[in-house]
Amino acid sequence: MRRIGRWVGGAALALGATAALGWLSQVPYDATSEADGLVRLAWRTRGTRVEECRRLTAAELERLPVHMRQVELCEGRILPHRLVVVLDGRTVVDEAVYPSGARADRPLYVYHEFPVKPGWHELDIAFTRDPVPADTAGETERERLGERESAAPPRLTLVRRVLLARDQILLVTYDAAERRLMLKGSEAP
Amino acid sequence: MKLSLARYHSLLVIRFLRRLLAPADALLNRLYTWRFNPLYHSGAIVVLTFVLLLITGLYLVFFYRLGDPHASIVRISEQVWLGRWIRSLHRYASDAALVAAAIHAFRMFAQGRSWGPRVLAWVSGLVLVGLVLVLGWTGYVMVWDVQGMVLAREGARFLDALPLFSEPIGRAFVGERELPSAFFFLNLFLHVALPVGLGALLWLHVSRLARPGLLPPRGLLWGTTGILVALSILWPAPPGTPADLFQLPSRAPYDAFYAFWLPLTQGLPGAAAWVGVGIVGGIAVLAPWWSRPRAALRPPPSVVNQRLCTGCQQCYLDCPYEAIAMVDRTDGRNGIMARVNPALCVSCGICAGSCAPMGVGPPGRTGQDQLARVRDFVAARAPAPDDVVVVACTHGAGGVVEESTFDGAPVLAVDCAGSLHTSVVEYLVRSGAGGVLIVACPPRDCQNREGPKWLEQRLYHEREAELKDRVDRRRVFLAYADLGELGTVAAALERGRRDVARLERAGREADIVLDAECDLVAVRGMEGRGGRGGRDGPDGPQGRQRSQGPKRGQR
Repeated sequence: MRRIGRWVGGAALALGATAALGWLSQVPYDATSEADGLVRLAWRTRGTRVEECRRLTAAELERLPVHMRQVELCEGRILPHRLVVVLDGRTVVDEAVYPSGARADRPLYVYHEFPVKPGWHELDIAFTRDPVPADTAGETERERLGERESAAPPRLTLVRRVLLARDQILLVTYDAAERRLMLKGSEAP
Repeated sequence: MKLSLARYHSLLVIRFLRRLLAPADALLNRLYTWRFNPLYHSGAIVVLTFVLLLITGLYLVFFYRLGDPHASIVRISEQVWLGRWIRSLHRYASDAALVAAAIHAFRMFAQGRSWGPRVLAWVSGLVLVGLVLVLGWTGYVMVWDVQGMVLAREGARFLDALPLFSEPIGRAFVGERELPSAFFFLNLFLHVALPVGLGALLWLHVSRLARPGLLPPRGLLWGTTGILVALSILWPAPPGTPADLFQLPSRAPYDAFYAFWLPLTQGLPGAAAWVGVGIVGGIAVLAPWWSRPRAALRPPPSVVNQRLCTGCQQCYLDCPYEAIAMVDRTDGRNGIMARVNPALCVSCGICAGSCAPMGVGPPGRTGQDQLARVRDFVAARAPAPDDVVVVACTHGAGGVVEESTFDGAPVLAVDCAGSLHTSVVEYLVRSGAGGVLIVACPPRDCQNREGPKWLEQRLYHEREAELKDRVDRRRVFLAYADLGELGTVAAALERGRRDVARLERAGREADIVLDAECDLVAVRGMEGRGGRGGRDGPDGPQGRQRSQGPKRGQR
């Protein structure tokens, strides 16, 4: 009798553990926590590189070895942009976007997500380059080599009324070919 | 001298966890017997699941297509011969691997088997678990359903928090561009290549063990495989809804074993998640240091008494941690002798039980020390002819070592049953005890791996240092009981008392001198060798040389 009890107990435990393994392997879970829709801003643009040049003085040139004497010394940097996002009349982002990379010489990246309820929404996005300082050269070596189209225009805007269905993601991204912001994916009619 | 669990487990938390483990072990021993208790074989079950994963994975990879991953998984599930079941088995085996690994790690920690020379096994085991988690992550991303997409995006978010990539890799999943098949290729490559690292780590994990048991006993092996196969057939795990980068994931089935961290990290910035991983990982990796006993309480490694060592190699053969080597003698005599590597010795004391002349063992726990202790024990309370003396392991034996008597029977504690020198048993019997009941941990759960196995062979199968023929075997009983199995000890004691009652009255000898024999054994042993090598001739036992010596554990 005791032996049978052990068999039954052992089988029941094995069955329970197996069922637990099967259930835990497929637990229903909702990974979206906040809302039923999402407006996503994601793009990458090449910034505008500016160079600040100055002429070396005679004394400075004198201190340099002969083969390193350059009359003009230029230091370049990529201009930051300002991103302003107004969603349904409320400013949700107003920030400076700096070039990436340890030396700040990589492209500018924008990535934001705004959970929203399904329905109509007013979207007003402006991505504006800081003005080019007057005493700098606003043209880079790359641009001189014919890559001018890769740098984003000084100001990108998108003003649109959009409709989001349940669980939809609306992507705002940058179209490098047309040099403008565009909506992509599941824009509702 | 009374020994207690506290000697090793100075931290309250470890003592608590050990106590927590005891009832679970006892229950499963009752249901499946100690031979097939899955908790005892958790480490071997992990290896079994690796084998299952390898076999099923090799089958599945033939049908996987990088160009359209989700569609190929659906095709595997619906059209490929046995595809649905094999894919489910692959998945359930990966879940079982993680569960078994967690149980194994918990056991090792709760039993205080993570520090000292075991650090390598502990740390490599944690890295193995981490690698299994990464493998599971890549496996689910391969499916590219909703769960795979969420895991991929979260993983990318974490990686982007590190200053590693010139461009944020999370951008790949925002929908800006089509997901490149190079991503799936890299993912597949990792999923196939990482198991190679897993194999290397597994080797490292067991590298300090002699005779590692990599697979569970046959019954448990087929039982576990059968259960996983049955689960795959009766409850196959289908792939989820295909991933859509422009659709919120909403409600979907997730594997709680590999995605358990999602609810914890979703609201957190990537850097905070890394901090969390760092804290948890740091605590786990450093466990051998913060959980080990204070220096004064740590048992010292074994030492060899050169004068008594005959070079018989038995301690070298019995050591479960390969901490003993046979080297040329340094005491002017010919032949070889044992040398303990303190960096590998966990102070289990099993060598003390293996050495007939009592020439090796941890200080204070050699055969001679054990004899001195049993002499005091008998002097304090001479066993009556109908007494059954309980010699119990401090790590198990229902915890009877906490008291000096159990159910009226005197209790003699021993650090590990495998370290018990048979002369102690002989001394007790010749001192007039009606019987001696030795209670060891179940062989599959020995704190020191092989203690009960060697003990049983020394008592009944003439393994060196065997219980002498002059000891009446009818008075010697061996039982196995875990910490939570007090009832098993009581039943064994009851049986022992009944058997003793049927025997003639035990006689008491005076002036029992056993350790003096050590010198004789040592001298005879060396004479028998006549120089370098073992007792059977110049080349050692059975004529085999040290370099080609008997395989550990074969004698």
